[in-house]
Amino acid sequence: MTPTRPGPRGRALLLVLPALVPVVAVVGAALVSAALLSLGLAPLVGEPGLSLDAYRAAAGDLGTGIGLSLGIAAASTGIAVVVGLCLALAATAAVRRSRLLGALAALTIPIPHLVGAAAIGLLLADAGFLARLLGVDPASWPPLVGGQLWVAVVAEYAWKESAFVALVVAGVLATRAASYGETAALLGAGRWARLRYVTLPLAAPALLSAAAVSFVYTLGSYEVAALLGRAYPEPLPVLAYRLFTSIDLAARPQAAAVALTTTALALLVVLAALRALRRLAAER
Amino acid sequence: MPHPRSVRRRARATALGAGALLLALAGCSAPASEPATAEARDWDDVLADAEGQTVRLWMYGGDDQGNAYVDDVLAPAAAELGVTLERVPIPDTGDAVNRVLSERQADVTDGEVDLVWINGENFATGQQAGAWLCGWTSMLPNMAYVDTDDPLLTSDFGLDVDGCEAPWHKAQFALVYDSARVEDPPGSVAELLTWIEEHPGRFSYPAPPDFTGSVFVRQVLYELAGGVEEVPLQFSQAAYEELAPELFTRLEQLEPSLWREGTSYPQDLGALDELYADGQVDFTMTYGPATLPDLVADGVFPTTTRVLLVEDGTIGNASFLAIPSTSGSRAGAMVVADLALSPEQQFQKARPEVWGQYTVLDPDRLPAEFRARFAELPQSEVLPPYAELSAGADPELAAEWVTALDEGWRRQIAAG
Repeated sequence: MTPTRPGPRGRALLLVLPALVPVVAVVGAALVSAALLSLGLAPLVGEPGLSLDAYRAAAGDLGTGIGLSLGIAAASTGIAVVVGLCLALAATAAVRRSRLLGALAALTIPIPHLVGAAAIGLLLADAGFLARLLGVDPASWPPLVGGQLWVAVVAEYAWKESAFVALVVAGVLATRAASYGETAALLGAGRWARLRYVTLPLAAPALLSAAAVSFVYTLGSYEVAALLGRAYPEPLPVLAYRLFTSIDLAARPQAAAVALTTTALALLVVLAALRALRRLAAER
Repeated sequence: MPHPRSVRRRARATALGAGALLLALAGCSAPASEPATAEARDWDDVLADAEGQTVRLWMYGGDDQGNAYVDDVLAPAAAELGVTLERVPIPDTGDAVNRVLSERQADVTDGEVDLVWINGENFATGQQAGAWLCGWTSMLPNMAYVDTDDPLLTSDFGLDVDGCEAPWHKAQFALVYDSARVEDPPGSVAELLTWIEEHPGRFSYPAPPDFTGSVFVRQVLYELAGGVEEVPLQFSQAAYEELAPELFTRLEQLEPSLWREGTSYPQDLGALDELYADGQVDFTMTYGPATLPDLVADGVFPTTTRVLLVEDGTIGNASFLAIPSTSGSRAGAMVVADLALSPEQQFQKARPEVWGQYTVLDPDRLPAEFRARFAELPQSEVLPPYAELSAGADPELAAEWVTALDEGWRRQIAAG
């Protein structure tokens, strides 16, 4: 081997580089400047000095924000996983009409969340399409948009993410479930047993990764909660944006503190999901 | 295979390099907070300097009439003076301020922002960090038509303007109602509060920090304090602790009578306007009442929409054009700000079919020709003329008041 030719590891590194450089440069620089700002080391006015003041000042809202964001993400991911799995099962079933169902579900994916949020808003608002269709007076329509239960926000995420979950899971099932299922059927397994011992274990890793992606996305996304939510309490991204655009410059470090906390939470979820995936693989 | 240790060493070097790069990218020096002051110059000198410059005016882009005015009326006039005016639409004025602050952190001297349409809150934010160029408005020839003692124009949300921004137009807070649904329109803010309690579910206001919802809360504060003269315009914690509890108690009492029993508030003015247009509430409110005739003509608001005249007067303010200290086209920006102040431009801008913005010029100082043209502007039955609307106008509180009240509202009313 000539020394100028990179070895297999070097080649792997070279291949990853185009993806790695932008991530380190953009996300890394953003995270470092957010960390500096939140720790008082890069103030817009005054002298830099290390302090945790921003975290302390934001602590109260941060607490309610974490609870709310985790709640919204858990509720919408939970619904998306159940609905998405059902869609995937239906789409890969050996019935011809099921293809159409799969295609229809996949159509949801290219719709941007912002457009989805606007559509859900028009549908579920007090004087919205659904209320008018059912002939319900705006005053007696339940507060789905901007109400205390964040119904419209969860509905939007669940609707969009269920299509994503369905696409990922159907992709895995389409290639492998049929042959395994047929083998199991030949061995005398009933429908329920095939679902329980063949299909679900096959789908589990894809389902888990799709759920983790959708959970983390929901945790960090701003526009849907801002459009369909209420003024108080605020999910983390909405809180961070309000603080960042506050007319008080002293609130900006707090915005960075909230953003960093959100990032840390998302990272924890990803790590937990990776661990669970490894355990799933070990069980095989 | 490369030696494992050399791999590790290379990895360490890469990590160090990446870390250094990150620090360099992030930067961590705080710029000086003293404002930059423009050197006094002869106006002809400024005009000559401005020739050929491009001025990027950053302004809120959600107002179609405003966009059309700048593109079709102001920009061609600027082109005649040799200045290219480019409008940069932004969703929120704070975005322009953030941009300028980042440019200051990065020591940029030819920034993307040359002129910003701004008012009190964001002006104060930039002033905290010394982001505006100061001491240049006295050079503008058209400042001669402006009343230099007008409190609306000398102080912006309690902060001295100090030649750091040139006035552009005036605004007046107004409560708006549908005369077909409100048979007994209240005549003062106190009467409005009583009206709300007598007609449960028919009133709401946008949740602060929405700009308009926030001014409604201040208007109620003036009323409860017993008049604007009872509220010190400059912020102090003592005054806040004395006045705020009563305000929030009253707003809390009001909650059960609001739309949806006050369990939720419209997120912004747009949401309240929608409720009003849908007939779910009988009132809306605005800082720019001059846009109402257009909304009525377009069928967005009912034809029976009227502006409520309150005897104690409402809060009035002005909006301005500011030049960031990071602008590389200062002369051009000054020329545009002066042009925007000229009687001809102010008149065009005041025409309801162009933009319908109230002029900042003092009628008594104008040439007779323009005084007559301003007097002949068409009137609408939706709203009274500006002179009547702004009679007894209340001044704005300092920006610190605004932040404190918005935060107090969020903690006590929204959370409660």
